[in-house]
Amino acid sequence: MVESKIEFIGARSSADVKGIMHPIVKEWFFAKFKDFSLTQLYGVANIHERKNILISAPTGGTKTLTAFLSILNYLVSLAAENELEDKIYAVYVSPLRALTNDIYVNLERPLTEIKELAESKGIKLQDIRVGLRTGDTTPSERAKMTRKVPHIFVTTPESLAIVLTAPKFSENLRALEFIVVDEVHALANKRGVFLSLMLERLEHFSAIPPVRIGLSATIAPIEEIAKFLVGAGRECLVAQVPLVKDIDIGLISPGVDLLTMDGAEDQKRLYHILDELIGQHKTTLIFTNTRNATERIIHYLDMHFPGKYTGNIGAHHSSMSRSQRFMIEERLRKGELKVVVSSTSLELGIDIGSIDLVVLLRSPKSVSRALQRIGRAGHQLHSNPKGRFVVTDRDDLVECAVLMKHMKEKIIDRVDIPMNALDVLAQHIYGMAISQIWNIDDVLKLIRKSYCYSNLSKEDFMSIISYLSGDYDLEHRNVYAKIWYDKETKQLGKKGKLARLIYLTNIGTIPEEGFVSVVVGSGDAKGNIVGSIDESFLERLKKGDVFVLGGVKYQFIHSKGMKAYVIANVSKSPTIPSWFSEQLPLSFDVASAIAKFRGFVKERVKNSLECVKFIQDYCYCTSETAGQIYRYCLEQEDFSVMPTDKKVIVELFKQDKDYMLFHSMYGRRVNDALSRAYAFIAAQLKHRDIEVGVNDNGFFIAGDALDTSKILKGLTSSNLRKIVEEAVEKTDVLKRRFRHCAARSLMILRNYKGRSKSVGKQQVHSHFLYSAVNEISRDFPIMREARREVLNDLMDISNAESILKKIERKEINFEVVRTPLVSPFGLNLITQSHSDFIKVEDRVNFLKRMHELQMKVIEKR
Amino acid sequence: MKIDFVGKCLLLDCGSERTLAIGDLHLGYEGAMRRSGVMIPVKLFEKSIVDFDKIISETGELDNIVILGDLKHEFGSILPDEWKYIIKFIEYVKSKCKKLIVIEGNHDVILFPLLKKMNIEGVDFFVWKNVVFTHGDKEYNEMNSKKIDYWVLGHGHPAINLYDGNKKEKYKCFLYGNYKDKEVIVVPSFFPLIEGTDAREFDMKFAWDFNLKKFRSFVVSDDLKVLDFGELGKIRTD
Repeated sequence: MVESKIEFIGARSSADVKGIMHPIVKEWFFAKFKDFSLTQLYGVANIHERKNILISAPTGGTKTLTAFLSILNYLVSLAAENELEDKIYAVYVSPLRALTNDIYVNLERPLTEIKELAESKGIKLQDIRVGLRTGDTTPSERAKMTRKVPHIFVTTPESLAIVLTAPKFSENLRALEFIVVDEVHALANKRGVFLSLMLERLEHFSAIPPVRIGLSATIAPIEEIAKFLVGAGRECLVAQVPLVKDIDIGLISPGVDLLTMDGAEDQKRLYHILDELIGQHKTTLIFTNTRNATERIIHYLDMHFPGKYTGNIGAHHSSMSRSQRFMIEERLRKGELKVVVSSTSLELGIDIGSIDLVVLLRSPKSVSRALQRIGRAGHQLHSNPKGRFVVTDRDDLVECAVLMKHMKEKIIDRVDIPMNALDVLAQHIYGMAISQIWNIDDVLKLIRKSYCYSNLSKEDFMSIISYLSGDYDLEHRNVYAKIWYDKETKQLGKKGKLARLIYLTNIGTIPEEGFVSVVVGSGDAKGNIVGSIDESFLERLKKGDVFVLGGVKYQFIHSKGMKAYVIANVSKSPTIPSWFSEQLPLSFDVASAIAKFRGFVKERVKNSLECVKFIQDYCYCTSETAGQIYRYCLEQEDFSVMPTDKKVIVELFKQDKDYMLFHSMYGRRVNDALSRAYAFIAAQLKHRDIEVGVNDNGFFIAGDALDTSKILKGLTSSNLRKIVEEAVEKTDVLKRRFRHCAARSLMILRNYKGRSKSVGKQQVHSHFLYSAVNEISRDFPIMREARREVLNDLMDISNAESILKKIERKEINFEVVRTPLVSPFGLNLITQSHSDFIKVEDRVNFLKRMHELQMKVIEKR
Repeated sequence: MKIDFVGKCLLLDCGSERTLAIGDLHLGYEGAMRRSGVMIPVKLFEKSIVDFDKIISETGELDNIVILGDLKHEFGSILPDEWKYIIKFIEYVKSKCKKLIVIEGNHDVILFPLLKKMNIEGVDFFVWKNVVFTHGDKEYNEMNSKKIDYWVLGHGHPAINLYDGNKKEKYKCFLYGNYKDKEVIVVPSFFPLIEGTDAREFDMKFAWDFNLKKFRSFVVSDDLKVLDFGELGKIRTD
């Protein structure tokens, strides 16, 4: 792999930037703004000098205009000389579809104003045209663009791919000079992989290597993101703009002790806190993490304060229709709303007006997300964002306290970019073959320029060529092959007259998700549909799991197609909360930091005064908050043992069955892999009916007479991958991911011959395909990709592996302790499912009862 | 009458003659899938022949072979090319027995004239000794004759989910039980890749109201062996 050269840079002087500006643009700019923003000082001159640059700034503000200022300046200077050609000079690509408003603010309005200014001075400027192309662009608008080529082309990654295969229009990209990638932080996923290959195809297509400009919120590891932007072996400047000097962040905990308060009181207190915060600010944005909670908060605010929150409160989440969401955004901008409650949907993009406080109700699970969220407040220039954590339980308290420390100290958790994704690769090779005939070595060379494929093996590459050219197809005529490949001449090209049509109606990486009907599978109500759940929730369900839907408990039996069959009237407690699939996993870095923090507290736990002081300083919190954290840790240490970064406590206790509860503070993605592996080993040891529970802080397995030492010894860093692969084989998770991968690699065409397939139909087809593929070989590339996605993207197998290695090297130790019942740190894990009951009191009472039991145990000692 | 399970086929031996019953085949399924834009990388015709060969190597040459219906996949048209494969398959099966009987199940305007040309009997049901073979979606009066002791059916695609408390696997199975004064044997589908339907979970839409939970299940293992799992309703589901 060829390394890229990354250089961190500082701000340029205002005079430097002024020096490069065309007089008209300069005059326009200073009539509008007092001075350059810090972001502009970092970016504008470097872009002018045609250097690749990644601009990372914590809040929105002026990033987009920074990228465009140099480009506008350049285009205006050409237009003034009458040298503007009919070609696309700059492509702006953003993962967001709703770009219109931003484009108006950052491009069209400046252009109009500059033109007017020029005309007032008697200078004639050529028209600088902006073209917008997304999935929503109408054919007539597209046709217009073909006649009058836009100079700045605004688009999404998917539309860009379509345009590049359009024989005529693509010619306008032959001499592309700039490419701006916005919202880079939202691209650490397959969509980003897609874009990264797209950029290489664009670069190959254009005679001029376009300057790459990336715009991102705070993100880590920044060097990797820069390499991702520019590709292998290229140079990139990195501008980390220190816009925010001090983040105004605090933590509020509703109880003196989050446990001893009465349930109803507790709730009341929470809403009073929210009400107070809202009252002190002009406009408040509350993030809740789940859609359900969003609606609940609005409902209860109204209940506790009748009349006060009518007409001035709004919800904003992904289940709402686009127009509903747009309406809320409009009202926000107009200042008509006092408070907006959102799950995650308001994190990204569009300017949402003047919000002066962001409330983070429950942990946002990562530092970058927390920063992104509070960055929504104080969107105006030079004002600092303000945010408050409001915590709801003691694990949440510790988590938010550590998050707060990292926000203050700007320690950003790292994201993973998927590497060597074979499904996206297949889609792109097909796209490439549509435009021209290629030499296969050139194809591989181009692909390896992308950061995401820089170490792609020749074997993997050839397996995709084999798949696309129909080698796996036993049919001699190869009617269904997508490309042809000639081993003699080493050339490849497209097959079939419909190739381009198939490509443009089926590309993209975002899986289509459907809703699954919940059907009663037995008894009197057999066949009754009782509601629906998301597909991603179905993915989490195991046979026998009990969940709550519309306030009623159901036990999951099995699923077929888009139906989930359940037993009604179950008495067992829920085993999985309905919001579980929506819950964001805690980042590995933050989880590790919490484990480390626990270690520090443990060292001082015997000395209460010193310890509270330490916590207060360490987390930048109040002494009251520090005291709560201290008491929580003390209880754990008294009752069981405090787990730390060096010690994973495995608690054994008996309830209805034997429990092995691992206090493995590594986040859910790692715990998911570990728990499945241990459960699989237990099952191999002839334990039946292994129950598994996972959250960010740990996991448990439960069953009859567990042989704990054999189970613990059964898993090693070297057999982990194999065991997890086996454990997920034939599970719904793998099947669903396979369906997504099959669609991405165009094995299942969602749109074919003018007909589109419903998600349900795709599901049925993929079920068949899944069996067929397994029949050929376990190593069929798309099957391998589905497995990779489950193990590396959904779970975090590599960190799980490195933890097991540390255990083997004795850097981390297991300590097995026997406890009479679950310890305080494990309580949330055991009871998480109870949170689904409509009556919050139930859960609170349950917690209280358990807590009392724990206290009795402690007292006896 | 000696009743034997050979992989996913049923072998009946009356002492002087032997008859093999083959379940639903659904030839042409992958073609139909491909035409709707799903790229299937396996050819089922060849897979079906391989599977059939394994069974014949156990049984040797037979007197009768009965295909229990749904020879061809129902929906969609079939390309001339695929017809060639279907004919090839039928001819191959025919070469392994003295007489081939195809239960019509769905009356196909192309398939049945074609069978006639090949001199193969296409019928709604087939009576042999005290056994009646039929698809299972319709009842025929002759089935209730006093002389008949056995009904051999396809249609249901029986399979069974076996669950060990952690992992679930599905296998094709035979269902064997009583209905009125007859003994009923449901033969699993011959169709490779997809195992079929678990009668505990889904209605098999037979023309009769069988109490399938009381039927005995004989589970087909991948090595052609068939294992008796006893009454279907008593096999644990959770």
